[in-house]
Amino acid sequence: MQRPDWAPDTIDIERPSVARMYDYYLGGSHNFAADRAAAQAMVAAVPEAPLMAQANRAFLRRAVHHLADAGIRQFLDIGSGIPTVGNVHEIAQQIDPQSRVVYVDVDPVAVAHSREILAGNEQAAVVQEDLRNPEAILTHPDVRKLLDLSQPVAVMVVAVLHFVSDDDRPAELLRTLRDALAPGSYLVLSQASDDGRSEDERAEAERVYRRTDNPLWVRSRAELTALFDGFELLEPGVVWVPEWRPDTPESAEDAERAVFMGGVGRLGD
Amino acid sequence: MTESPGATPCPGAFARAWAKAVSGTSYLPMTQAQLESLLDRLTGQLAGALLTEPFDLRAGHRVGAELVAAHIASAEGLGRTVEVIQLRLVRDLGLVAEDVEDRMARLLAAVATGYARALRDRTLDEQESIRRAAMRARTQAERALRASEARFRHQATHDPLTGLPNRTLFTERLAAALNEPGRGAQRVGVCFLDLDRFKVVNDTLGHQIGDLLLATVAERLRKAMGEHLVARLGGDEFVILVERSAGTDDMVAVAETALAAVRTPALVDGHELQISASIGIVERQVAGANPTDLMRAADSTLHWAKSAGGARWSLYDAERNQRELARYALSAAIPAALERGEFYLDYQPLTSLRDGSLVGVEALVRWRHPELGVLRPDSFIGLAEETGLIVQLGGWVLAEACREAEAWSAGGAAAPFVSVNLAVRQVHRPGLVQEVRALLRQTGLPPERLQLEITESTMMSTAEEPVRALRVLADLGVRIAIDDFGTGYSNLAYLRDLPVTELKVAGEFVAGLRSPSVGRTDERILASLVSLAHALDLTVTAEGVETAGQAERLRAIGCDAAQGWHFGRPAPADRILARIR
Repeated sequence: MQRPDWAPDTIDIERPSVARMYDYYLGGSHNFAADRAAAQAMVAAVPEAPLMAQANRAFLRRAVHHLADAGIRQFLDIGSGIPTVGNVHEIAQQIDPQSRVVYVDVDPVAVAHSREILAGNEQAAVVQEDLRNPEAILTHPDVRKLLDLSQPVAVMVVAVLHFVSDDDRPAELLRTLRDALAPGSYLVLSQASDDGRSEDERAEAERVYRRTDNPLWVRSRAELTALFDGFELLEPGVVWVPEWRPDTPESAEDAERAVFMGGVGRLGD
Repeated sequence: MTESPGATPCPGAFARAWAKAVSGTSYLPMTQAQLESLLDRLTGQLAGALLTEPFDLRAGHRVGAELVAAHIASAEGLGRTVEVIQLRLVRDLGLVAEDVEDRMARLLAAVATGYARALRDRTLDEQESIRRAAMRARTQAERALRASEARFRHQATHDPLTGLPNRTLFTERLAAALNEPGRGAQRVGVCFLDLDRFKVVNDTLGHQIGDLLLATVAERLRKAMGEHLVARLGGDEFVILVERSAGTDDMVAVAETALAAVRTPALVDGHELQISASIGIVERQVAGANPTDLMRAADSTLHWAKSAGGARWSLYDAERNQRELARYALSAAIPAALERGEFYLDYQPLTSLRDGSLVGVEALVRWRHPELGVLRPDSFIGLAEETGLIVQLGGWVLAEACREAEAWSAGGAAAPFVSVNLAVRQVHRPGLVQEVRALLRQTGLPPERLQLEITESTMMSTAEEPVRALRVLADLGVRIAIDDFGTGYSNLAYLRDLPVTELKVAGEFVAGLRSPSVGRTDERILASLVSLAHALDLTVTAEGVETAGQAERLRAIGCDAAQGWHFGRPAPADRILARIR
């Protein structure tokens, strides 16, 4: 087998993984001491971190629900991490057991874990690839096998784009994905945002994030809106994630504390 | 896990308060309505447990476990649950019981116990599953690494053009075959194969065709050799390793098969190429063999096959190799021998056939070898010419001859000229003119007393430089003789351009003069040569004259001078000169 050049030579669980840190924020135990130490350090610097993760996960749940209700039966979740509580296939297949889901993550442990969770599920698969390599994702045999790109697909790029620097040209990556999609497809996107924050706050946040292995690339609402180029944004547009079609009005309170902004766009006919 | 919102249409105030309390303690994969509905159902169970007689701990355990199963699974989730039950359950539901405080304490304990147990199990399960995933990922990564290492190893040990094993792999396999324990008594063999005149294919049809031809040959050899390792060492060199040879016959059969495989015409990009190969075979016992010696022997043997004309195999011959090594060692020792003064010159007289006078002498080099005794030039000149050492040695001979010849004029009578052989390399070397000019100046030898003998083959090249140099030398007055005339291509064209003074006719024509019947043809050739030479204003010296009869007939033909045993063997200068004093 070909080893992708970004894949590590060995699996080092002494190094924190953003996927497992995220699991820790969500209250999971799919993590190791190094992940917990890093996550705790993050919480010390940014107390909202667990709230951010939960709010983002809830956004994912509501978005998948909405799209499944809208008739979408194919999902491509890029940067899926550890798909434990409330993952895409659970939500989608609850609505229609024939819904097909392909998870994509760069973290080999997350991929191995996903594979275990998905064992026996003919309608779901996991692929080890990098969001920065969209052609490889789109041409991957497992993606091709499970997803019919001539039919609408929901592409999920949730809580991952902030690990992609501007140098990696996120707009081009999304354009490549978009060009492969059939009309009626959707893009679900969320990421950390500094919208409305002062320069001082932005500098402080960046200083904190730079200490981690995966520095965050926060983006403004305008930048995120631009990333939906070619898609028609569904109401209410790009918002703090708790504000995106909340279950109850109260759950959208203090929405900017969630730090993540997101939205859902539809590819026109 | 998730409840339909419609199951309990209107959750009570307590369930709503409970839902609010646990919201945000961990990620809950459900809507607020679903959460309230779930907690409403659990509220019913709690109320029931609080009132049922006898009190059942298991109801509390079940509620705790259900909370964890619904992902309300954090320390905070438990704390807030305990708090909200304690503060509000009895009040919100208007529950009345005799010992409600006591029962409440036991119920909370049971919920906390069930919750803690379930959370512990869940934590352990998740830890186990993530650890398993890490191990699986590690195995996967290691497998991928091994696969890529195997790929790198394949690249490092194979030739990209032909896909055959390369020199590295061949060397490893050969070393392994020789070092394998317990194999000492067995035999191993290699066929070192090289295509004949492959360079011509590259030069005339281009490297692309050359490469395709190599790939074709490689594929044929691989197929023909079966289990034997076929490697490409580079260029058009291939080697076949026979790890278990049954003897030289076995190896010859392998070589014949390989030659046959190469011999079949190859159709390469529309060109039908007929090629052949040469093979050097070495076969020996494993014990005592080492890869370096084996390959060196194979290389020498391949050269024997090449020098015998190619399209054949040669079998290694230790004695022949020994002789060649000795010859090589001898030539390598020439520079040191020159420094130690181990060379000296003998001279052979060139006698006038008109009056018997000594017209000149030919300088012949001798090597007084400290171990081998006096060596004649045929034992070391050939290799000196191949290795280029002839330039150094020839230079010494020329200088020594000039130095000695200058002294001969002191005798008074007309001193003979000295004739010195020049090797091809010496003539083609720039600086010959300066060298000769400097020697004549240093020794004081008159130019007309120096004769330079060159062979016809020297003039075979089309280079203009040697001709120009010889012309300058001739203009100085130096005599130029063509040695062994009549044995080469005898292309007479160069006689037109060259300032030649003399032709030396090869001894084999003279040999024919011994018997009157056989020698008629030789005599006619000689006569023609003489008249041709005279017509061109050249003198003729016959070589290899051994009898008076030969001398007489040469004289009758009109030959000017002669050289050979009949007129005197090579000897030190003073012995020769004694004749003219």
